[in-house]
Amino acid sequence: MVVALGVAAINTGNNLLYLLVSLVLGLIVVSGVLSEQTMRGLRLTGAVPEEIYAGRPALFGAGIANGKRWLTSYSVTLELLAPEARADTAAGAGQARFLYLPRLEAGADRLVTWEETLPRRGRHRLAGVRITTRFPFALFLKAGRPALDSEVIVYPAVKPVSSALLREIVGSGDAPTRRRGRGSDLYNLRGYRPGDDPRLIHWRSSAKTQTLTIRELEAETTEDTRIVLTGAASGDSALLEVGLSEAASVAVHLLRAGSGVELVGPDITVPLGRGRGQIRRMLTALALYQPGAGPVEAPEAEDVGDGDPRREGRALRELRIRIG
Amino acid sequence: MSSMLALRVVTYLVVGDGIAALYLAGLIGPLGVALVVAAILVSWALERARERGALRPAVAWGLVGTAAAAIAADLFYLAQSVLDGLVHLLLFLILVRLFMHRVLRDLRDAGFLSFFLLIAASSVTFSAGFLVVFVVFLVLVTWMLMLHHVVAEAQKAGHASPEAAGTHFGFRSPLMRVSLVAAAGTFAIAGSLFFVIPRVGQAALPFRGQLGRMVSGFSDKVELGAFGEIETDRTVVMRVYFSDETADPQSLPNLRWRGIVFDRFNGTTWTAGQSRRILLRPETTGKFHVSVAQGRRPLVRQEIFLEPIGTDIVFAAPRILRMELRGGTLSFDDMGSVSVPSAAARLHYAVDSELETPPPADVRVAGAGSGFSAGERVRYLQLPAMSPGIPRLARDVTAGSRDPYEAALKLTYYLSSRYKYTLGLKRQTQLEPLDEFLFVRRSGNCEYFAASLAVMLRSLGTPARVVGGFQRGEWNPYGRYFMVRLADAHSWVEAYFDGLGWVTLDPSPRAEAEAQAALPGVMSLYLDAARMRWYRYVVNWSLTDQLLVAASVQRQAGDFHVSLYWPRDWRARPWLLAAAAAAAGLALAWLIWRSGLPGRASRPSAPVPRFYERALRLLARRGLAPAPAETARQFCGRVGSAAPALAAPLGRLTGEYERARFGAAALTPAELGEVERWLVALEQS
Repeated sequence: MVVALGVAAINTGNNLLYLLVSLVLGLIVVSGVLSEQTMRGLRLTGAVPEEIYAGRPALFGAGIANGKRWLTSYSVTLELLAPEARADTAAGAGQARFLYLPRLEAGADRLVTWEETLPRRGRHRLAGVRITTRFPFALFLKAGRPALDSEVIVYPAVKPVSSALLREIVGSGDAPTRRRGRGSDLYNLRGYRPGDDPRLIHWRSSAKTQTLTIRELEAETTEDTRIVLTGAASGDSALLEVGLSEAASVAVHLLRAGSGVELVGPDITVPLGRGRGQIRRMLTALALYQPGAGPVEAPEAEDVGDGDPRREGRALRELRIRIG
Repeated sequence: MSSMLALRVVTYLVVGDGIAALYLAGLIGPLGVALVVAAILVSWALERARERGALRPAVAWGLVGTAAAAIAADLFYLAQSVLDGLVHLLLFLILVRLFMHRVLRDLRDAGFLSFFLLIAASSVTFSAGFLVVFVVFLVLVTWMLMLHHVVAEAQKAGHASPEAAGTHFGFRSPLMRVSLVAAAGTFAIAGSLFFVIPRVGQAALPFRGQLGRMVSGFSDKVELGAFGEIETDRTVVMRVYFSDETADPQSLPNLRWRGIVFDRFNGTTWTAGQSRRILLRPETTGKFHVSVAQGRRPLVRQEIFLEPIGTDIVFAAPRILRMELRGGTLSFDDMGSVSVPSAAARLHYAVDSELETPPPADVRVAGAGSGFSAGERVRYLQLPAMSPGIPRLARDVTAGSRDPYEAALKLTYYLSSRYKYTLGLKRQTQLEPLDEFLFVRRSGNCEYFAASLAVMLRSLGTPARVVGGFQRGEWNPYGRYFMVRLADAHSWVEAYFDGLGWVTLDPSPRAEAEAQAALPGVMSLYLDAARMRWYRYVVNWSLTDQLLVAASVQRQAGDFHVSLYWPRDWRARPWLLAAAAAAAGLALAWLIWRSGLPGRASRPSAPVPRFYERALRLLARRGLAPAPAETARQFCGRVGSAAPALAAPLGRLTGEYERARFGAAALTPAELGEVERWLVALEQS
């Protein structure tokens, strides 16, 4: 339109047309200046959940901060970029989504969250988010650098363990041994260490000794388990995914109950361990497991807890899960 | 007021501004304005029905189809011009958008179409009112575009409006203030661009020009009394600037603006019957050379803005030497009357003139027109059939005159002193107009005075002709120009004397009659000066003006460069040092403010204490290092769960680290000793 108007102004020599051409050009310049002012000083930081499970909505977040001293940023849109691989998702269709912030005052910050469901286990590169604005006249789109475009590991789907499987687990193995865990019975009292859960402080003892004392709890399940993945694993991919999901579910259940768990199978080995670190190791190994792609070996657990069966030479209870 | 309602209000106001532009340009009359405004109001009232879906699309589109057919017929058959047809089409499209709007884009489109109304108006009007329309449009359209943007973005993100997203964007919101700032910025930038964009274009495809009303008195055939009807009109039709070389234009004597010249009179009508017109083409400099300077009289340069009054005559101070005028050609007749090929919408031209100075009263001439050819004598001595009273009166008045010039002065004085100037020109007898004026009514307007003098001079054998033009007008001190009104239309006489040439004689006692007239008020002078600036610096801004400004800027830049040298007498001017020191102080304060004051929240935190760095090195040897986004406490917790033996010493060290780094607390020697012990424990465990 500007070009047509400019040609008309030149052809007619009419200064009022030149004035209107100048108006349009002025609007374009002001649009550029204001959109630049909107984007200047905006900082975008992404927040990725620690654990992402396949098929389960995970809460992602992005913090947007306006670092300017005086000026408000108007009409900021957080664009959730569409991943190319999203076409196979249920949310699918490769469409970007938008979260709108009408205004962000100088010095203010805002946390924006949204749910995202990643359908498959394994490594995924996040499509990322970016700040965009078309302020003030929607003439141009100005966008910032994407954030949240890192690679994440999606764990296999973890589901409640079936009661039949629970009975199978409980009904096998050696005599129980008392050990520290996350149950409800008291195992021991000790001094507070940084990182301990404040809810476990034993206030009465702390008052007596004048030092913070913490309760250690006894593990509810006290038997260690070896999960054995069986089968060829290269045939039915659906069966493989179901098996891996079942293995992950059992492992998480046992580890949360305080038990030690070891995982073995074709091309996969996770040594015996317990606690949160072992959950992470176990899930990571299962997430990255690809049949025939070479052995997946998780690093050996540094802390296998008290009563290490390897040190004690105790036999482990075995649980077999078919993956092919 | 919600954002959506504010958007609707602003959109309707933008459309209203476009209609005002059309009205200003005369592209739509009062009835048309009333109809369109009524339609817009109906559209506003139907908003609720639209929201309920009560307006059936089929019926509405049927109406649109019918109206579209009518518009097509208007465009091709009914409208006065293509431009009128296009304007009607634009109005129709806007009304369709307003009536049928279902999505946000329809409102925005109605606003955009209003911009085309301004374009249409700009092609046919030069009124200063356009500036008001333009500024109002700029303010409104800025606000409309912003509102449209925020509402559209909110809807795109799944909200019904910005209010649903938690922010109010109606009137009096901060966004409105931003839009006003944006409008001011746009105005400043648009203004700068307007003056800078090169005016390289030629009017190759001009739209319809605005001729204005036809004014009697300035055609090649004028009846006696024609000026009477315009001499009461106070409309300003011409503004005349003098260049800076003319120090005091007000003091110039006998200043008048010469236009058309008549040589033939039939008793009631003057015509320019026998003039030979010469076509003038511009020289390589772009100027038209009209005549040669005689070298004895003052030269003045005028810049004239002539409103469209329906005449092709060019007015200027006599005698014209050179002219500058955008356009192809000028025509010039043998009586010194200059005209343009067609009566354009508005004329802007510059003229170099050699001013006439009246000969002294005691000058003697040998004769009047004795060197004329027979044809010229017939032409300038032609008289209609008239009563013998007029020549007799001429002889009586000039009895005893020593030469024709003295006789002409006597006749001029006689008419101006014995007759009364009046605009009441009602005929009282069946006599010829001049007989009635000279012998019965003894009052009239300037045409009667001029015609009487010319006829009486011719009856005495002195060649004479009547000139139509304007008297000098009012001086506007705020704009420094002469403001010539239609009421200043004037007639006078030029008579030829041997040795003097054509001499101007004005027998009309008009100046005395108008001395009692009310002077224009200060406000009207101010407004006219503002209007003049609009014409001068916007409507008539040209490549020549741009070159002049560029040269001026270059010259001033050179002067500024010279003044940048350090003044040698700076000791004698302490204020100079004070100003420099103040400027330096302000710059320093600004730098400090920019970098942040001490104690501000943005101050970087203290460096990492050495003991903690040492602890990190010890842990790194064991393969334990903090992650990039991990805090000291989180790291401590992770180390504690990975190696419980390290938890206790690292926990203590972490506590001291936090105190030292973020608590701004200096560790005592005893605490430092404690820290050292925990470091040893960390190393050994």
